[in-house]
Amino acid sequence: MNSRVITITSGKGGVGKTTTTANIGTALAIQGRKVVVVDSDIGLRNLDAVLGLENRIVYDLVDVVEGQCRLRQALIKDRRLPELYLLPAAQTRDKNAVTSVQMEQLCQQLRQEFDLVVIDSPAGIEQGFRNAIVGADEIIIVANPEMASVRDADRIIGLVEAAGKPEPRLILNRLRSEMVKRGDMLDVTDVLEVLGIDLLGIVPEDELIIVGTNKGEPIVYDKRSRAGRAFLHAAQRILGEEVPLEEVTEAPSLLERLRRLMGFGPTLAEKQVRY
Amino acid sequence: MSIFDFMSGKKKPTPGEIAKERLKVALVQDRIKVNPELLELIKAELLAVISRRLDIDEQHVQLTMAREERWDKLQANVPIKRQKVAFEWGPPAHTSSITGVYGKVRVEVEREQ
Repeated sequence: MNSRVITITSGKGGVGKTTTTANIGTALAIQGRKVVVVDSDIGLRNLDAVLGLENRIVYDLVDVVEGQCRLRQALIKDRRLPELYLLPAAQTRDKNAVTSVQMEQLCQQLRQEFDLVVIDSPAGIEQGFRNAIVGADEIIIVANPEMASVRDADRIIGLVEAAGKPEPRLILNRLRSEMVKRGDMLDVTDVLEVLGIDLLGIVPEDELIIVGTNKGEPIVYDKRSRAGRAFLHAAQRILGEEVPLEEVTEAPSLLERLRRLMGFGPTLAEKQVRY
Repeated sequence: MSIFDFMSGKKKPTPGEIAKERLKVALVQDRIKVNPELLELIKAELLAVISRRLDIDEQHVQLTMAREERWDKLQANVPIKRQKVAFEWGPPAHTSSITGVYGKVRVEVEREQ
C-alpha cells in the first residue's frame, strides 16, 4: 500500500499549523482518501477542538505508544466523514513522553490502516518537532508573511534538510492582499524568493476561520470561505492534481484595472509563482 | 510596485520591501554564520587585491550577503574611479617556456555612465 505520511510544521507558534492540519486532513478525506490526522503536540492538544471532537477522547497517542490500548481504541471517527479519523495528543503528559523510535513505529502502524497520515507538529525545534518529522515522507511548512515566521520557517527548512527529508513545501497562510497591495506586507513572491522552496498553497486571512473553529467545523466545508477553497486546492495539489493558484486579490480596483489596461507592470496573475 | 511609483519615477522602499531585504540578510547570517565583522574583513581583503590593479572608490564599496533564487550570494559592488584603466600583463617569470602563455593580455575597464 502506498501510504504517505505528511507532517505540518512551522517553527513559530500561532501561524496556523493546527488549522491547516484539520483542513488539509478534512479536504483529503472529502477527496475520498482514508485519512488520519495525528496531534503530536503532547500536553497542548488542540486539533481535537478544531475538528469538534474534543468530548470524544478516551485514549490518546501516548496510551497507544505505551501499549495501554490498541491503536483502534484511540482513533476517533470524524462526525461527518466516515474515512477521517483523529489520533489525539495526551493532555496530561509532556513532549518527552514519546521517543523518536516510538513515533516512527506509530507511523508504520498508521500506514497499514490509512492512505494518508497527516501529523500536526508542535511549535519549536525540540524533541516534539523531531518526533513529528521522524516518520514523515513529506513536510509542509506553514508560514505567515511576516519576518519572524519566515525566519523560523527557514530554520525549519535547514533542520528538515539535516534530517535527510525531502525539501518541504510551503503553505503561506493569512495573507492580507490589501496590505500586500499597499506594500505593507511581504508578498508571495518575496517569501518564495527568500525561502527558496516550492509553494503548495496561499491561504488568505479569513475571519470565517475563527467562526469555524468556534463551532468545531473545518472551514473547507464553508463554500463562502476563500480560505476554505485555498485549503481544498492545497489538498488537491497534495494528491497530484494541477490546480491553478487562487486569485489572492479581491476584485481589482478601478485604478488597478486602468493600469493593466494601459499595460503598466505585471498583474498578479503574471507574476511567476512556482508550486 | 504601485501606480504611484510609476508616476513619481522614484520611490521609497515600502515596509514589505524593507522586510524582504532584512530577511535576506538575516537568513544568510542565520544559515552560514557570516557576521558583519567577517564581512568587513572580507571587504578589506578584497579591496586590497582589487586596488592593486584598479583605482576604486573605497567609500562606496558595498559588500552584501543575500539569499536569492535558492543560492546564498556574496555580492560586491565596487565602483571604479578613473575613466579608463589599462594595464598589460606578461606571463609570470616562473612559467616554463614550453607551456607558457606568449604575448600580452590587455585589460580595459571603462566606467559606466
